[in-house]
Amino acid sequence: MELDDTDLILQAQKGNESSFEELVYRYDRSVLSIALKYTLDEDDAKDLYQEVFIRVYRGLKNFRFESEFSTWIYRITTNVCLSYKSRSKDHLRVSIDEDYDDEEKEFSIAQELIYDGSSPEEMTSGADIREIVGEAVESLSPKQKMTFILKHYEGYKIREIAEMLNCKEGTVKKYLFEAIKNLRKKLSPIYA
Amino acid sequence: MKHNEIKQLLQLSLFGELKVEEQLILKEHLVSCDECRRELEDQKNLMEIISTRKKVNVDDKMLSAARYQLRGALRAEKAGRSVLSGLKENISQFFTTPIRIAIVSVSILLFGILIGALIFRTSTTPVVDQAENTDQFAMLNNDVRISNISFIDSDPSDGEVEFTFEASKPVRLRGKINDQKIQSVLTYAMLNEQNPGSRLNSINAMDTESPAHLDPDVKNALITVVMTDNNPGVRREALKMMKKFPYDEAFKKALLYVVTNDTSSGLRIEALNSLIEAGKQGYKLNQNELNLFKQQLQQDKNNYIKLKARTILQEYN
Repeated sequence: MELDDTDLILQAQKGNESSFEELVYRYDRSVLSIALKYTLDEDDAKDLYQEVFIRVYRGLKNFRFESEFSTWIYRITTNVCLSYKSRSKDHLRVSIDEDYDDEEKEFSIAQELIYDGSSPEEMTSGADIREIVGEAVESLSPKQKMTFILKHYEGYKIREIAEMLNCKEGTVKKYLFEAIKNLRKKLSPIYA
Repeated sequence: MKHNEIKQLLQLSLFGELKVEEQLILKEHLVSCDECRRELEDQKNLMEIISTRKKVNVDDKMLSAARYQLRGALRAEKAGRSVLSGLKENISQFFTTPIRIAIVSVSILLFGILIGALIFRTSTTPVVDQAENTDQFAMLNNDVRISNISFIDSDPSDGEVEFTFEASKPVRLRGKINDQKIQSVLTYAMLNEQNPGSRLNSINAMDTESPAHLDPDVKNALITVVMTDNNPGVRREALKMMKKFPYDEAFKKALLYVVTNDTSSGLRIEALNSLIEAGKQGYKLNQNELNLFKQQLQQDKNNYIKLKARTILQEYN
């Protein structure tokens, strides 16, 4: 009979390694998927995956069942992603504690860096749309990008994202609306 | 409801996050509002464009590689922890008798005096200097491997440079294969050693021991090697050794993985033979696995494998 998470956690807390492994295998595909969609780079995603489960391993002893285990793992995943800095690219990143104004500021800096003054026609005809969309998503602030990826590409519910990010649903909505607003601004030459 | 709030509902509707009553409000509003209808179309177009972002999905190969790396990292983490916990244990044991407490108190007092003396002295930077620390340099003999050199001061204009580096020294170990510590090192080597010859030697060394005397980690490591090692020779040896262990779910999954993913036809045949053997002993594949198996085997270019596949499907059915 398959053990539930609680039993596996209790056994893993006592040092049972196969229980820990089983827990990892239950969630690691989703963790890797979030990391991959966030970074778009396999090596970076594997680094983040490893960082997440090392943190889980270190923190498991202190896990007190105050939240679902899955929520805890995804919370770690989002934190690790938000503080990620690509080893291959010099991304613009801010601390997860920075406030919303700073994120706005960051977006405008990123937008200046990406938009090279080309006319919409030049942009659509001269560049791969997929690449432009990728750059537009990259230009979002970490929290906007994370909420947008979890919602649009991973299909999580706003309630679930709020749990993962440890914030209110209203805050998630705010990040989503801002993300869409910024993406719209950035992509308007393509679809307008 | 304000127009702005309706626009937010539009966005939420595209995410499938509207409650029933909100859906009704939106529906009613859209009937009478051209602007919002245009806005909805606009948003749909935007979402369509956004969906063209580069598609990235986790496949089994990537997941296996990530798990393989994680195993290595966890081993390193556990090794570091066991050193720390041993130290902690020794310290806590030391503090259990009154005489020791007294010794420690005196030591703390002396340490305090020493710290005080150091604070009131002119401080010096704790940098290893070549002229003053010849002993430190004497340590760097031929046995020591130097890596990760990182410059703190690379400007030679003042005649000096400053850097940090890691120096590691090879350790020679001799012991019986049934010793758990020896097995632990060999398992680590099997998973992490860069040189395939060393990985192969580690497997072969443990292959001489009966599975009953091997740590359970060895089997897990063998499964990882069978599924992820980039050298077919190493994978083959790992598969041969893995077959000595009792057949179970993890074993079956590894065999299926090899049959459906391995690039070497020899290994695929070997894995197939093991599955046939297990089938004869009464172990079954579930329907999903059989379907996957059928699908993959129809695509296999090797005729012998196709023949074997038929046999296995007959065995399992």
